Amino acid sequence: MLGNDIVDLTLAKVQSNWKRKGFLEKIFTYDEQLCILKSKNPYLKVWLLWSMKEAAYKIHNRKTGIRNFAPKSLSCTIHSNAYGEVNIEGSTYYTKSDLQTTFIHSIASPNCSMLEEIKISIYEAPDNLFDYKSTKPGCVSHHGRYLALVYLL
Amino acid sequence: MSKEEIIAELKTIIKPYSEETLALENIDENTDFITDLKINSANLVDIVLDIEEKFKIEIDNDSMAKMLTVKATVEVIESKLQTNVGE
Repeated sequence: MLGNDIVDLTLAKVQSNWKRKGFLEKIFTYDEQLCILKSKNPYLKVWLLWSMKEAAYKIHNRKTGIRNFAPKSLSCTIHSNAYGEVNIEGSTYYTKSDLQTTFIHSIASPNCSMLEEIKISIYEAPDNLFDYKSTKPGCVSHHGRYLALVYLL
Repeated sequence: MSKEEIIAELKTIIKPYSEETLALENIDENTDFITDLKINSANLVDIVLDIEEKFKIEIDNDSMAKMLTVKATVEVIESKLQTNVGE
Protein backbone atom coordinates (compact mmCIF):
# COMPACT_ATOMS: atom_id res chain seq x y z
CA MET A 1 0.00 0.00 0.00
CA LEU A 2 1.08 3.53 -0.79
CA GLY A 3 0.29 6.91 0.67
CA ASN A 4 1.05 10.42 -0.50
CA ASP A 5 0.19 13.99 0.34
CA ILE A 6 0.88 17.28 -1.37
CA VAL A 7 0.79 20.72 0.23
CA ASP A 8 0.51 23.77 -2.03
CA LEU A 9 2.62 26.16 0.05
CA THR A 10 1.08 29.29 -1.47
CA LEU A 11 -2.41 28.10 -0.56
CA ALA A 12 -1.36 26.81 2.88
CA LYS A 13 -0.10 30.28 3.70
CA VAL A 14 -3.55 31.82 3.23
CA GLN A 15 -5.64 28.80 4.24
CA SER A 16 -4.08 28.11 7.64
CA ASN A 17 -2.46 30.15 10.36
CA TRP A 18 -0.07 27.79 12.13
CA LYS A 19 0.64 30.46 14.73
CA ARG A 20 -2.95 30.43 15.89
CA LYS A 21 -3.24 29.59 19.58
CA GLY A 22 -3.78 25.86 20.03
CA PHE A 23 -3.08 24.93 16.41
CA LEU A 24 0.29 23.24 16.95
CA GLU A 25 -0.86 21.58 20.19
CA LYS A 26 -3.81 19.89 18.48
CA ILE A 27 -1.76 18.48 15.61
CA PHE A 28 1.75 17.83 16.79
CA THR A 29 3.37 15.76 19.53
CA TYR A 30 5.56 17.54 22.07
CA ASP A 31 8.74 16.50 20.22
CA GLU A 32 7.33 17.67 16.88
CA GLN A 33 6.40 21.05 18.37
CA LEU A 34 9.97 21.41 19.66
CA CYS A 35 11.32 20.50 16.24
CA ILE A 36 9.08 23.15 14.62
CA LEU A 37 9.88 25.90 17.09
CA LYS A 38 13.64 25.25 16.94
CA SER A 39 13.62 25.22 13.15
CA LYS A 40 15.03 28.07 11.06
CA ASN A 41 11.90 27.87 8.95
CA PRO A 42 9.05 26.77 11.24
CA TYR A 43 6.45 27.30 8.52
CA LEU A 44 8.07 24.74 6.21
CA LYS A 45 8.57 22.31 9.09
CA VAL A 46 4.85 22.51 9.96
CA TRP A 47 3.87 21.50 6.43
CA LEU A 48 6.60 18.89 6.05
CA LEU A 49 5.44 17.11 9.22
CA TRP A 50 1.81 17.54 8.22
CA SER A 51 2.36 15.97 4.79
CA MET A 52 4.23 13.04 6.41
CA LYS A 53 1.31 12.45 8.78
CA GLU A 54 -1.27 12.66 6.00
CA ALA A 55 0.65 10.31 3.71
CA ALA A 56 1.01 7.75 6.53
CA TYR A 57 -2.63 8.16 7.61
CA LYS A 58 -3.82 7.30 4.10
CA ILE A 59 -2.20 3.85 4.41
CA HIS A 60 -3.14 3.31 8.05
CA ASN A 61 -6.76 4.24 7.41
CA ARG A 62 -7.04 1.70 4.58
CA LYS A 63 -5.29 -0.95 6.68
CA THR A 64 -7.46 -0.55 9.78
CA GLY A 65 -10.66 0.58 8.08
CA ILE A 66 -10.93 3.25 10.78
CA ARG A 67 -11.55 6.80 9.70
CA ASN A 68 -10.76 9.43 12.32
CA PHE A 69 -9.05 12.76 12.82
CA ALA A 70 -6.21 12.20 15.24
CA PRO A 71 -3.13 13.89 13.78
CA LYS A 72 -1.35 13.83 17.12
CA SER A 73 -1.49 10.03 17.28
CA LEU A 74 0.79 9.92 14.22
CA SER A 75 4.27 10.53 15.55
CA CYS A 76 6.93 11.68 13.06
CA THR A 77 10.69 11.36 13.10
CA ILE A 78 12.71 13.13 10.45
CA HIS A 79 15.89 11.37 9.35
CA SER A 80 18.44 12.73 6.89
CA ASN A 81 17.92 13.55 3.21
CA ALA A 82 14.19 14.09 3.50
CA TYR A 83 13.58 10.54 4.73
CA GLY A 84 11.47 10.00 7.80
CA GLU A 85 9.11 7.67 9.59
CA VAL A 86 5.69 7.93 11.15
CA ASN A 87 4.60 5.69 14.01
CA ILE A 88 1.02 4.98 14.97
CA GLU A 89 -0.38 2.29 17.27
CA GLY A 90 2.62 -0.01 16.76
CA SER A 91 2.74 0.43 12.97
CA THR A 92 5.62 2.19 11.24
CA TYR A 93 5.35 3.93 7.89
CA TYR A 94 8.46 5.14 6.11
CA THR A 95 8.36 8.44 4.29
CA LYS A 96 10.31 10.40 1.75
CA SER A 97 9.56 14.05 1.07
CA ASP A 98 10.26 16.46 -1.74
CA LEU A 99 10.58 20.07 -0.63
CA GLN A 100 10.19 22.59 -3.41
CA THR A 101 9.69 26.33 -3.18
CA THR A 102 5.99 26.12 -4.04
CA PHE A 103 5.01 22.69 -2.70
CA ILE A 104 5.92 19.83 -0.36
CA HIS A 105 5.13 16.28 -1.39
CA SER A 106 5.54 13.24 0.84
CA ILE A 107 5.21 9.57 -0.01
CA ALA A 108 4.74 6.79 2.53
CA SER A 109 5.08 3.03 2.55
CA PRO A 110 5.03 0.34 5.26
CA ASN A 111 8.22 -1.00 3.66
CA CYS A 112 11.30 1.23 3.62
CA SER A 113 12.86 -0.19 0.44
CA MET A 114 9.57 0.24 -1.43
CA LEU A 115 10.04 4.02 -1.28
CA GLU A 116 12.52 3.70 -4.14
CA GLU A 117 9.99 1.83 -6.27
CA ILE A 118 7.35 4.52 -6.31
CA LYS A 119 6.70 6.53 -9.43
CA ILE A 120 5.53 10.07 -8.67
CA SER A 121 3.61 12.32 -11.09
CA ILE A 122 2.87 15.89 -10.05
CA TYR A 123 0.62 18.12 -12.16
CA GLU A 124 0.16 21.83 -11.73
CA ALA A 125 -2.97 23.75 -12.79
CA PRO A 126 -4.29 23.88 -15.47
CA ASP A 127 -2.75 20.47 -16.26
CA ASN A 128 -4.29 18.89 -13.16
CA LEU A 129 -7.72 18.37 -14.71
CA PHE A 130 -7.89 15.06 -16.51
CA ASP A 131 -9.24 11.59 -15.97
CA TYR A 132 -6.43 10.50 -13.66
CA LYS A 133 -8.49 7.65 -12.18
CA SER A 134 -8.08 5.70 -15.40
CA THR A 135 -4.32 5.68 -14.77
CA LYS A 136 -5.01 3.63 -11.62
CA PRO A 137 -2.80 5.48 -9.15
CA GLY A 138 -1.92 3.83 -5.81
CA CYS A 139 -2.79 7.04 -3.99
CA VAL A 140 -3.98 10.52 -4.95
CA SER A 141 -3.54 13.90 -3.29
CA HIS A 142 -4.92 17.28 -4.34
CA HIS A 143 -4.23 20.64 -2.81
CA GLY A 144 -4.56 24.06 -4.40
CA ARG A 145 -2.90 24.12 -7.79
CA TYR A 146 -1.48 20.63 -7.46
CA LEU A 147 -2.45 17.06 -8.15
CA ALA A 148 -0.01 14.35 -7.06
CA LEU A 149 -0.33 10.73 -8.16
CA VAL A 150 1.82 7.82 -7.03
CA TYR A 151 2.22 4.37 -8.59
CA LEU A 152 4.07 1.28 -7.48
CA LEU A 153 6.51 0.36 -10.22
CA MET B 1 -28.98 24.63 23.73
CA SER B 2 -30.97 22.51 21.29
CA LYS B 3 -29.45 20.34 18.59
CA GLU B 4 -30.84 22.71 15.94
CA GLU B 5 -29.20 25.70 17.64
CA ILE B 6 -25.88 23.87 17.78
CA ILE B 7 -26.11 22.95 14.07
CA ALA B 8 -26.94 26.59 13.21
CA GLU B 9 -23.85 27.78 15.11
CA LEU B 10 -21.76 25.09 13.42
CA LYS B 11 -22.92 26.25 10.02
CA THR B 12 -21.62 29.77 10.73
CA ILE B 13 -18.30 28.37 11.99
CA ILE B 14 -17.80 26.09 8.98
CA LYS B 15 -18.75 28.61 6.31
CA PRO B 16 -15.30 30.21 5.79
CA TYR B 17 -13.70 26.77 5.29
CA SER B 18 -16.03 25.30 2.66
CA GLU B 19 -16.70 26.30 -0.90
CA GLU B 20 -19.52 23.78 -1.24
CA THR B 21 -22.28 26.35 -0.78
CA LEU B 22 -25.11 23.97 -1.68
CA ALA B 23 -23.97 21.25 0.72
CA LEU B 24 -23.44 23.89 3.40
CA GLU B 25 -26.91 25.32 2.82
CA ASN B 26 -28.43 21.85 3.24
CA ILE B 27 -26.30 20.89 6.22
CA ASP B 28 -27.80 18.26 8.50
CA GLU B 29 -26.63 15.58 10.92
CA ASN B 30 -25.40 13.33 8.13
CA THR B 31 -23.16 15.95 6.52
CA ASP B 32 -19.53 14.86 6.36
CA PHE B 33 -16.90 17.60 6.65
CA ILE B 34 -14.51 16.04 4.18
CA THR B 35 -16.61 14.13 1.66
CA ASP B 36 -19.57 16.55 1.52
CA LEU B 37 -18.13 19.94 2.47
CA LYS B 38 -14.66 19.26 0.97
CA ILE B 39 -12.96 20.87 3.93
CA ASN B 40 -9.19 20.74 3.88
CA SER B 41 -8.06 18.49 6.75
CA ALA B 42 -5.74 21.16 8.22
CA ASN B 43 -8.80 23.42 8.48
CA LEU B 44 -10.56 20.78 10.59
CA VAL B 45 -8.23 21.92 13.36
CA ASP B 46 -9.41 25.51 12.87
CA ILE B 47 -13.01 24.34 13.11
CA VAL B 48 -12.25 22.50 16.37
CA LEU B 49 -10.52 25.63 17.75
CA ASP B 50 -13.43 27.83 16.63
CA ILE B 51 -15.88 25.46 18.35
CA GLU B 52 -13.84 25.61 21.56
CA GLU B 53 -13.97 29.42 21.49
CA LYS B 54 -17.60 29.74 20.49
CA PHE B 55 -19.02 27.21 22.94
CA LYS B 56 -16.39 27.83 25.64
CA ILE B 57 -15.52 24.15 25.88
CA GLU B 58 -12.30 22.17 25.72
CA ILE B 59 -12.07 19.40 23.17
CA ASP B 60 -9.65 16.58 24.00
CA ASN B 61 -7.85 14.56 21.31
CA ASP B 62 -10.12 11.53 21.62
CA SER B 63 -13.18 13.69 21.03
CA MET B 64 -11.53 15.54 18.15
CA ALA B 65 -10.75 12.19 16.51
CA LYS B 66 -14.50 11.59 16.03
CA MET B 67 -15.31 15.03 14.61
CA LEU B 68 -15.65 14.20 10.90
CA THR B 69 -19.41 14.56 10.66
CA VAL B 70 -21.97 17.04 11.93
CA LYS B 71 -23.63 14.29 14.00
CA ALA B 72 -20.42 13.32 15.83
CA THR B 73 -19.50 16.98 16.34
CA VAL B 74 -22.89 17.85 17.83
CA GLU B 75 -22.55 14.87 20.20
CA VAL B 76 -19.12 16.07 21.33
CA ILE B 77 -20.38 19.63 21.87
CA GLU B 78 -23.47 18.41 23.77
CA SER B 79 -21.41 16.21 26.06
CA LYS B 80 -18.86 18.96 26.79
CA LEU B 81 -21.59 21.52 27.47
CA GLN B 82 -23.11 19.01 29.87
CA THR B 83 -19.76 18.69 31.70
CA ASN B 84 -19.53 22.48 31.97
CA VAL B 85 -22.96 22.64 33.61
CA GLY B 86 -21.90 20.01 36.13
CA GLU B 87 -18.90 22.05 37.27
